[in-house]
This record gives sequence, structure tokens and C-alpha cells, in this order.
Amino acid sequence: MSVHDVIVVGAGAGGGVAAGVLAEAGKSVLLIERGRELACEDVPRDHLRNHRYTRYGHNTGPSLEGNPRVWVDLDGREHTLRPHEDAYQNNATGVGGGARVYGAQAWRYLPGDFEMASTYGVPAGSSLADWPIGYADVAPYYDRAEWEIGVSGDSVGSAKQWPRDKDYPMPPVPLNRQGAIVRRGAEALGWPTLAVPLLINSTPYAGRPACIHCQHCIGFACPVDAKNDSQNTLLARARATGRAEVVTEAMVEQVDTVGGRVVGVTYVDRDDQRQHARAEVVVLAAGAIETARLLLNSTSSEHPHGLGNAHDQVGRNLQGHYYPGAVGLMSEQVHDGVGPGVTTAITKFNHGNPDVIGGGMIADEFVVLPIIFWARNLPPDLPRWGAEAKRFMRDNYTRVARVMGPVQEIPSPDARVTLDPTVRDRWGIPVVRLSGATHPETVRTAEFMYARAGEWLAASGAQRIWGSPPRLKLSGGQHQAGTARMGDDPASSVTDRWSRVHGHDNLYVADGSVHVTNGGFNPVLTIMALAFRAAEHIARAW
Amino acid sequence: MLSMLTEAQQDTLRALVDRIIPADDFPGGWEAGVGDYLDRQFAGDLSHVVDDYRIGLDWLEAEACATTGTSFAALAATAQDEVLRRVEQGDVVVDCPVDPAAFFRAAAEHAAEGFYGDPGNGGNSNGVSWRMIGFEVTG
Repeated sequence: MSVHDVIVVGAGAGGGVAAGVLAEAGKSVLLIERGRELACEDVPRDHLRNHRYTRYGHNTGPSLEGNPRVWVDLDGREHTLRPHEDAYQNNATGVGGGARVYGAQAWRYLPGDFEMASTYGVPAGSSLADWPIGYADVAPYYDRAEWEIGVSGDSVGSAKQWPRDKDYPMPPVPLNRQGAIVRRGAEALGWPTLAVPLLINSTPYAGRPACIHCQHCIGFACPVDAKNDSQNTLLARARATGRAEVVTEAMVEQVDTVGGRVVGVTYVDRDDQRQHARAEVVVLAAGAIETARLLLNSTSSEHPHGLGNAHDQVGRNLQGHYYPGAVGLMSEQVHDGVGPGVTTAITKFNHGNPDVIGGGMIADEFVVLPIIFWARNLPPDLPRWGAEAKRFMRDNYTRVARVMGPVQEIPSPDARVTLDPTVRDRWGIPVVRLSGATHPETVRTAEFMYARAGEWLAASGAQRIWGSPPRLKLSGGQHQAGTARMGDDPASSVTDRWSRVHGHDNLYVADGSVHVTNGGFNPVLTIMALAFRAAEHIARAW
Repeated sequence: MLSMLTEAQQDTLRALVDRIIPADDFPGGWEAGVGDYLDRQFAGDLSHVVDDYRIGLDWLEAEACATTGTSFAALAATAQDEVLRRVEQGDVVVDCPVDPAAFFRAAAEHAAEGFYGDPGNGGNSNGVSWRMIGFEVTG
């Protein structure tokens, strides 16, 4: 049995930050990660198996065998799924987590994103709520995340909507041709644009080089280590202290308690041996789905329904992001191959829209792999075989533009993670059972944004526009959030305003689980910021 | 290559792939390596559909013979396309143990994966489809 000051479960965006802050604060840290260390060459550029296109698998963990989840669809049918199947709601495992292969959009949530219920009211059937903290509470940690992990962005443009004390440490990643064209379209509409902030080096930063503008950014690891996440920043700092031990390929089975009090964790190591580790504080950062699973699996006579679950709140309110968008056939070439590709955002529709709740950001899209273009971007009426299909690919791969973006979801208590009563993973641990759907108001907001996407492409010169209208579904995936949400009232939340599980002064959560709502933006910078905040609180309190 | 299929099935498959992705001033699917892609996948992620291919290819040959009097692979391209359009619409005369239209859709998807996917998967020989469409890998 090993003994530490702090155990962190999960080496993703949040866990790596927590480990770094705590190790530098003098704590001995055990970081347990179920995936492997992933060098760039361990994450293949396989166009049929990556986190952008999981046709036959993906290029990190979890492995396709031995890690099932059960999904109950909207008609009540049960499906046992493997990790690369859509409804599994997967996020990459490995040191770095999903951020190892992300697109690295570095958005702050807007002040209004923390006050959704008081701004819009609570629609019937929704669990929409305000956060117990506001933008001003998180802002100093957004600054830290932007500087200590590294963000490129337009400080002046950002400051028009976000109060900020510091500029971005690097200027925006350069514009490409698609970006220039959609900026003209936005200008014609009178829509202000903003350079998309990215956790990607536009200049050399912190000892690592600038982005080389390759075509394999999202879904893959960076070939020159210019994509920033906690793994190559805060976790590297944690290791440099000599106080952080990182155990990989190890699956945490439960949080252990004695007399109801958290004392450590039990995990299964890479040799399938059960190990017990003890610590004063445990931090869960396994992602919103697996953190909920771990809390629910941590039962005892004092906590028969799992930890933090006295009020049946753990695992509810699962959110991700609807991502409505449109595809436009343009009159000119838009693809110039300059990656990462996402350059230009519209944020005027995040709030203040007529007749819908909230809204979302919308931006041009990353460089698209040819097979993804074939699978997802062809006009619906184009034959999928024959000379015409080949001709369309040949003539139009470089002439198609895409805009899309995340919609702030309206949470439903029935969109949830529970434990499956029968299915076990390869270690014999009960697996996640996913059920329910987002609130129907999410679909209405997504429909509104879907229309804006088409409008933007039309103004940018699209001759023809197509896409897929949003439909009611369960959301989670790489932007998963909400399953252990913050609140002052333990009856309607799982964690307190410091990301600490109600009723347990030494059990914290440092991933998207704590998000009350998930913003109309990519969530990773908020996950990082809240991990800084929670870890500082731990360092002070312990 | 494709030793899991009979020679007759291989001939039909080759003709089918070259109608899904016909040669023009760029190579057709077979020359670009779709067969090599399928050979690899039939021993891997697509091993569960090999039987469907055997059944589907035998059926396509029988359907071509029944409706045109000629082997599918021996038909002119326009006549092959006519057979495939009827398959797509479910307008067929020979009974098939698998859904012919679904088999054809799946074969078209697999051919596209072999043609437009990365050369590391066995197809898209020398990145020929990427050159065709203008997808250049620079780093």
C-alpha cells in the first residue's frame, strides 16, 4: 500500500493541472491514468481510426475490447457498445487525455454562461441552474491557464466581450483562405468576428516551437509539440518537482472510505493486480462519465448509493455540445491546406437571441480529411458511386467551406450516467449505462444556430448549402460535463463551489463533471481553470 | 491477394470497384489500391463481412447473367452501371440472401475508404486520390 498527500485519478486536462499545482505546492502526488503514455508516434495518422473519424477504431485508448458501455436509446432499446461507436460518448484515454488529440479551442465561458437560470428562467422538465460562482471567480484562473499552458489569441477582440486582466501570451494563429472568405461574409452581414483562441503556439513558447500548420491537428497528436495541454506543461512541471508519481495503464475501481471518510483508492494495475493507495485528499478527474461511474461504484455501508449521491444527483444532467453546422459549395477555392484550419468565430449569438434559450459560438472548421469529406460533407443528393461522385470529390474538395459550433445545452436530469446491473469491464467493474436525452430546448437553440450557419455561408459566397438538422439525442462525447455539478444546495448538486464533493472535505472533482451548464463554447479552458482553482484550494486547506 | 474469394468473385469485385470509382484521367479504384485495402480489411476489421461479399458477388454475377446474358465483369461499363442502378433501386430479378442494395452501399463505402483513406491502410496508392482532390500533407 502506497501513501501520498494527494491522489489524482485521470491525467487529462484537469488532472494534469491539479497534479502540477499540488506537486509545486509541496504535496506528494500519485496520478493514476488508465491509458498509456502517448508519444506522437504512438498516435497514428490513421484516417479510418482517429478521434475525428472512428470508423474502425481510434488512435489512443481505451482499447476496443474489454471497455464496454451500455446505451439505452430513446425507444428504450439497450445497446452494448465499444469505445469507437458514437453513442459510447468516448473521450481519449492516455496521459494528456482527450487534450492529447484535441482541436485546442481555448474559450472562456462568458459571464452570462454562469447565470443561465436567472437570465432565461427554468424551462419545465429542465434542471437548468446558475453556477454558485461567477465569471469573476474563474477569471484569474483563466489567466493562469492561458499563460501557464499557452494560448494564442486576439486580446483586443476578446476584451470586447470578456473582462480580462491579462492579454493572451501569443498572437492569434494566422488566418487561412477559408477564414478570410468567411470573414468577408461576416462583414457583409455586419457580424463581428473574433480570431479563435487556441492552445497552440503561434510563436515559440515555453521552450516549444510554433505550429507548422499541418493538416493533421484535430484527432491527432502534434508532430512538433506545438499543441499545448496539461501533459506537456503542468504535468511536466509536476514531474520536475520529483514529488509526482504517474502510474499508467491502471484502472481505479473505487474510492475507499473508512467509517465513511475518504482514505484513498483501490486500483487494478497493468499486471491486473489490485493495489490500495492512501492519501489525505483524492481528486477525481476521469471525465464527466467515468468520474460519475467511479462515485457510483464507491459504495459502502455508510454510502450505499455511492459517494456524494445521498440525493440521487450523481450522473444526472449529462451534457456535451450539439454542434450544428452547414456545408457550402463556394464559387472559389477555400481550402489552402493551412492548418489547423479553425480561424474565425462569431460570438454574437451566444446570448440575446429571440425566442431561444442561450445560443452558441460558430466558427469555420478545421482542415477536413478526404475520407471525412466523403463520409460527411457530400451533398445529400449526390450519388455515392460512379463518375459523378468521383468528379465531385475532384472538383470540390477545395471549394467546400464549413462553419459549425457548440450550442449551450439546456440540461435534463434524465440525461444520465448510471451503472449497468449486469455488464462488467475487463477488470470486473460495473460499466456505465447511458440513458435519456438533452432537454428539447437544446434542439430549438441548435436549430436556431443551424440556420445562422447557413446564413453565414450564403453571405460568404456559397452557391449551394446543405447540412443535417439537429435531432433530440443524448449528448456527451469529448465535451462531456455536468454529472457532478457544483451548487450550494447538496439536494440539487454533487460538489460545492470549490469542486469538493458535498459531505466529504477531502474529495474533489477536477473535470467537466462540475460544470453546472457547459457554455456555448468548447469547455477545456474552463476545465483547466477550475482545476487550478480547486487545486489551489486543496493546497491551502491541506 | 483476396485469397478468401474465388477467382470468379475476385473478377466481379474488381469490376464492381471500378464502377464505384471509375478510371478517368486519374486511376480507377482497383488500380489505386482498393483491392489491396480490402484484402487487408477482410483479414481485420471487415472479416465479419467476407461472407456477405461472397454472397453478394455471386449474386451480382447471377443477376447480371439473368438480366443481360453476360457475366458482370464482361459487360461494357454503361451496361454495368445499368445493372448497378437497378440494384440500388431494389429492382432485381434473382433472389439474394442479403439485401442487394445494402450490399452495394457497403461496398461503395469500403471502396471510398480504400481510395480516399490514408495509404497506410493499403489503398490510395502513392496518395493518388489526395493529389486528385488537392489534399497535400505538408508536415
